[in-house]
Amino acid sequence: MNYISERAQLRQSQLADLIEEACQHLEPSSYQRDIAQQRYEGVGDWLSRSDDPLLVEIAIRLQGSVAIGTTVKPIGIAEYDVDLVAHVPDIDIAISPAMLKRQIGDRLRANGHYAPLLEEMPRCWRLNYANEFHLDITPSIPNPGCPYGGELVPDKALKSWKASNPVGYRAKFERRAKLRARIRSAFGRMVDSTIAKDSVEPYPEEMKLKGLLRRTVQIAKRHRDLEFIDDADGLAPLSIIITTLASRAYEFCVGNFTYDHELDLIVDLLRRMPNSIETHVNGTGVEWYLWNQTTVGENFCEKWNKHPERARAFFEWHGKLIADVEHFAAAEGLDDVRRLLGDVVGRSPANAALDALTARVSTARTGNRLSVSKPAGLILGTAVGATPVRGNTFFGDPR
Amino acid sequence: MRLGCRKPLTAAQQFINLRANPLSSGDGDLRAGNFTWRFDASPSPLSRVYRVRIEMAQERSPRTFVETPDLAMLADGRDLPHVYRNPTRLCLYLPGTSEWQPWMRIDQTIVPWSVLWLWYFEDWLASGEWNGGGVHPREHDQERSRPPQRRSETQ
Repeated sequence: MNYISERAQLRQSQLADLIEEACQHLEPSSYQRDIAQQRYEGVGDWLSRSDDPLLVEIAIRLQGSVAIGTTVKPIGIAEYDVDLVAHVPDIDIAISPAMLKRQIGDRLRANGHYAPLLEEMPRCWRLNYANEFHLDITPSIPNPGCPYGGELVPDKALKSWKASNPVGYRAKFERRAKLRARIRSAFGRMVDSTIAKDSVEPYPEEMKLKGLLRRTVQIAKRHRDLEFIDDADGLAPLSIIITTLASRAYEFCVGNFTYDHELDLIVDLLRRMPNSIETHVNGTGVEWYLWNQTTVGENFCEKWNKHPERARAFFEWHGKLIADVEHFAAAEGLDDVRRLLGDVVGRSPANAALDALTARVSTARTGNRLSVSKPAGLILGTAVGATPVRGNTFFGDPR
Repeated sequence: MRLGCRKPLTAAQQFINLRANPLSSGDGDLRAGNFTWRFDASPSPLSRVYRVRIEMAQERSPRTFVETPDLAMLADGRDLPHVYRNPTRLCLYLPGTSEWQPWMRIDQTIVPWSVLWLWYFEDWLASGEWNGGGVHPREHDQERSRPPQRRSETQ
């Protein structure tokens, strides 16, 4: 392989590494996740030790982005949301959502530790751990009418139950996320290269994408958060819409195509996201449908039919997302890379990712472990054809 | 052998080494006692490709220029860090010390240092911080309590 194509390959894998690095700055740390888990397990324990026969069998389960590994920290708010379902099996649909919610609330309030943290939300209870996270606890009961073993959760008015299936949704998402993409230049691995993978640090350092689907969902959600930062009208596309569209597009892409690089797949699947949205044209306009495939009758785009401006906002944002990711993919120069990655994921994670690169170069330089090769530029350690970088002190005219 | 006593490499020797090292593969002109060498340098696959020119006359220090792209234009009005001016050249080592001496191979010193300079330059373009360390003469004066020996060493 000549140095130009070797360089082009390295470039692609390094761009994917930067996305990986930036996403790590967007999500809660494993320490934060562990704390959250301890807290919600404690809540489940407290609920099920109730004397109330209704709550004895209750089980607390994660749902939403924390459950499927696609969380992004909210902008300008210290706490991220941990969505939980408090599921009561063996219960009749005759119980009203308001009643079950009230009983869960009563039980939480009876605990001196939880009472001061408790906040009532329209459909759920929130335990507010300042500067850490919110635990949002939504009641749920079995849905006898769902062929996929789904559940019922309160509607927004708390008047009736509506179909949902957090367990089934999570399982389906995880199955899709596990589908392996066919990538010609397997991540960071050079075919025909004299340069072994571990010598082309400062980048790879065991950095495997957490999973292209999850990372793509995180990028898209973060870009949404940035684009709609001043959104007062509820125009921002819902996370469930973004996640569902991305996961279906991912399944289609990896089932049908082979890609040269990770980033090619990311761009292609972003492009194909809208393909799963169904439309019906009726007398008054367009109706939008994105069906939850794990239950019957849950249309994630339902609100678009009352608020067509939300559909327009989705498509405008989607176009901008693709353009921004494509600009990043074409960036030339570490400065351009930093700026254009910032357009996708925000300044602070982009700066963190690029600063980490320079820090690795500087550390290797101090430790006399830096060398330079034509295709890879600066590398940690050495490689065939590479020249060590000896110690030097930059000098210059006074400024 | 004491370091200072090593025999300087001739312009022809430097030229041949530059031509042989894959890192500095490029082209140039060798004349009696001096040469010009041009090669492409890029500090990472995410970076621009820079055309670098090294000029050297026998018994003088090498001079390192970036021909393209225009560094001043990239800097967009900001003063470039760690350069000599008029004309703009990269300042890659501390003159008057053993960092670079005429017996050292340019392809193993000046060339990797210019790639390193370009890394910190692109980093500086975006962050506004020069993270590559180094000294400017004023600081150098204070630190070392002696004038920089730039004039004699770096032409």
